[in-house]
Amino acid sequence: MRKTILYLIFSSSFSINAQIDYSKLVVGRTTGEQLMHDGAMVRTFGFAETLSEDIKVPGPTIEVTEGDSIEFDFWNVSQGAPHTIHLHGLDVNQENDGVPSLSFEVLHMEHGFYKFKAPHPGTYIYHCHVVSTIHVQAGMYGVIIVQPSNGNQNQVWNDGEIYARDLLWTSSEIDTNWHTLTVLDHNHSSNTPHYVPADYAPQYFMINGESETQLSQESGYYYTGQNEKVYMRLVNIGYYGVRYIFPSSLNATTIASDGRPLPSSFENDTIEVLPGERYGTMIETGTDILYPVVVEYFNLNNQVVESSQNVIIKTSPLGIETENITGLKVTPNPSGSGVFNINSDILVDYSIYSILGELIIQGNSSAIDLSDEPNGMYFLQTENSIQKLIKK
Amino acid sequence: MIKYTLITLLCSISLLCSSATIDVRLVINSGSHSLTGGAFVAAKTYSVSNTFEDNSDIFIWNHDDIINLKVVNLDSEPHGLLIENHVNISSILSGDSVSQSFTLAEEGVFRYFDPLNSPFNEYLGLSGIVHVKSVLDTSSYFYWDIREIDSSWNELIILNTPPNLVDYDPDYFTINGVSSPDINMDVLARPTGIVGEEFKVILVNNGQSIHSMHFHGYHLTIATDSKRPSHVGRSKDTFPLYPREHLVLSCTPDKPGEYPVHDHNLVAVTGGQQYATGMFITMLIAE
Repeated sequence: MRKTILYLIFSSSFSINAQIDYSKLVVGRTTGEQLMHDGAMVRTFGFAETLSEDIKVPGPTIEVTEGDSIEFDFWNVSQGAPHTIHLHGLDVNQENDGVPSLSFEVLHMEHGFYKFKAPHPGTYIYHCHVVSTIHVQAGMYGVIIVQPSNGNQNQVWNDGEIYARDLLWTSSEIDTNWHTLTVLDHNHSSNTPHYVPADYAPQYFMINGESETQLSQESGYYYTGQNEKVYMRLVNIGYYGVRYIFPSSLNATTIASDGRPLPSSFENDTIEVLPGERYGTMIETGTDILYPVVVEYFNLNNQVVESSQNVIIKTSPLGIETENITGLKVTPNPSGSGVFNINSDILVDYSIYSILGELIIQGNSSAIDLSDEPNGMYFLQTENSIQKLIKK
Repeated sequence: MIKYTLITLLCSISLLCSSATIDVRLVINSGSHSLTGGAFVAAKTYSVSNTFEDNSDIFIWNHDDIINLKVVNLDSEPHGLLIENHVNISSILSGDSVSQSFTLAEEGVFRYFDPLNSPFNEYLGLSGIVHVKSVLDTSSYFYWDIREIDSSWNELIILNTPPNLVDYDPDYFTINGVSSPDINMDVLARPTGIVGEEFKVILVNNGQSIHSMHFHGYHLTIATDSKRPSHVGRSKDTFPLYPREHLVLSCTPDKPGEYPVHDHNLVAVTGGQQYATGMFITMLIAE
């Protein structure tokens, strides 16, 4: 009820109410389970695009267009505590900022509506801001990408650099002691402090929710073409500092941070990204097949590097040109069974290739069955796009 | 609570073309710093008061002012005083005092701290902020002396047992010596502004940890950066702040409201295992 009253008050003064260019349903849930590299299952909170979708950490990446009026319809289906969406870096007004004591909180089975005008093209974050120390660690976060208003989704901003593809790497950690029932299913009252565990000592240091062998095995590689410009979107939503060390042959040049162009770009193979920061770094692949990127996670209190992950960029002999076709979405991806569903209103002709370029299947059905194929990376090629499928 | 020494514009308009002479008696005291939830830790601070204050004073002076400084050490240990680019008093014995006069020849933000027993004395609280302004500078400034506390460190240092930095694991996080929500009562810390009018925030990391300060509602522009001057001009919403680094950030608000600022290492928005009682403050912007 409180949320409804506040929303009515806020809407009366909110200038972009009249027209919404893009509305997005975001479902908040607390029943996620994340499979870790060692086989452990960790309970998580998180966001999804539909009620039936499994919770994944990070949540879905949401793309919007610069200048558009955006509405997030946030549906809290989580039983316990309320949740919110904080639009990190999007410079929204107080009403839509997602801090419960200053805007509104969304109770179980209620909807909350967040409205904003998409700002400068760049990389932003959304996350829950209710008992944020707990709920962000639990997994309630994802990335918002604002694309330039000129419609070119391979350009950093209007009149900015063109790239062949972008790779989004979101760093975070998991301390399993923060994922127990006692911590996650906390009592909630807006007016009383909340208990948090004494120490934060993560066991898992992740990129896009994966770590160790999940990243170093072929199914965890990130694919690009050869001699391509690749725009790295580096996001840190964890509680450690992260240091990316790119191979010098990639000529890493950082051109943006926190959704804004840097006044002066800088060439450096090493880029530190602290909690809440985002950097936009352009790299250029050559003809090498593998480019290993070292990602160090350092404790912000003593600056000791506590984990180092190897993330592999592999150049594909297929010469990938476009990552996704608009409106073509494949779920689940990754798939444990090897069956992928194409969520499209029309049947699309497709071909499936192995990572060596071998044709596996051709068809135009709404389901792709790779259950008889070995685990690994595959490419789904349609008339004008290629995207990767992962069978795990 | 916190006490500030605001020695600014003492002689009003007539000073526009001349410097002022200011007498400052700075006392080194030890005592108990009160923390979130009623806890206390042993601490030492610089203050113009004869009694212990929770946080070392913030000094705001004008360029070309002449400071007649007398530092009195009321603690049982020797201490010194270094004001970056201005003063270096290497040691003052317990019960003793040292006087020094100097001219504020350089504008900017400067840390002052005890160079002895580094970094432990400055960690305990013997560190603060000096801001030297142009007399013509009419900007609104807000001041954040950022530091964190590992209670076990304070106990060890007071017993002259140096702790190991590798074991540093702070449990309290403060701005100007206090935490949320009390920090919003500090008029020198809490940014208040008006739409269309610029204000500036000075952040000084006098702690041992790296902090990552995130602003809701706004991107701010880096006006100065003591550690990485090449970052000046960047427009960001999240600002790394390394130990001993200081930043001056500029903001010209375009919308009213109350907007949080906090460390996005979200452990630092807790205190004594309680959320949200750490490094969390709000900006208040009026139409």
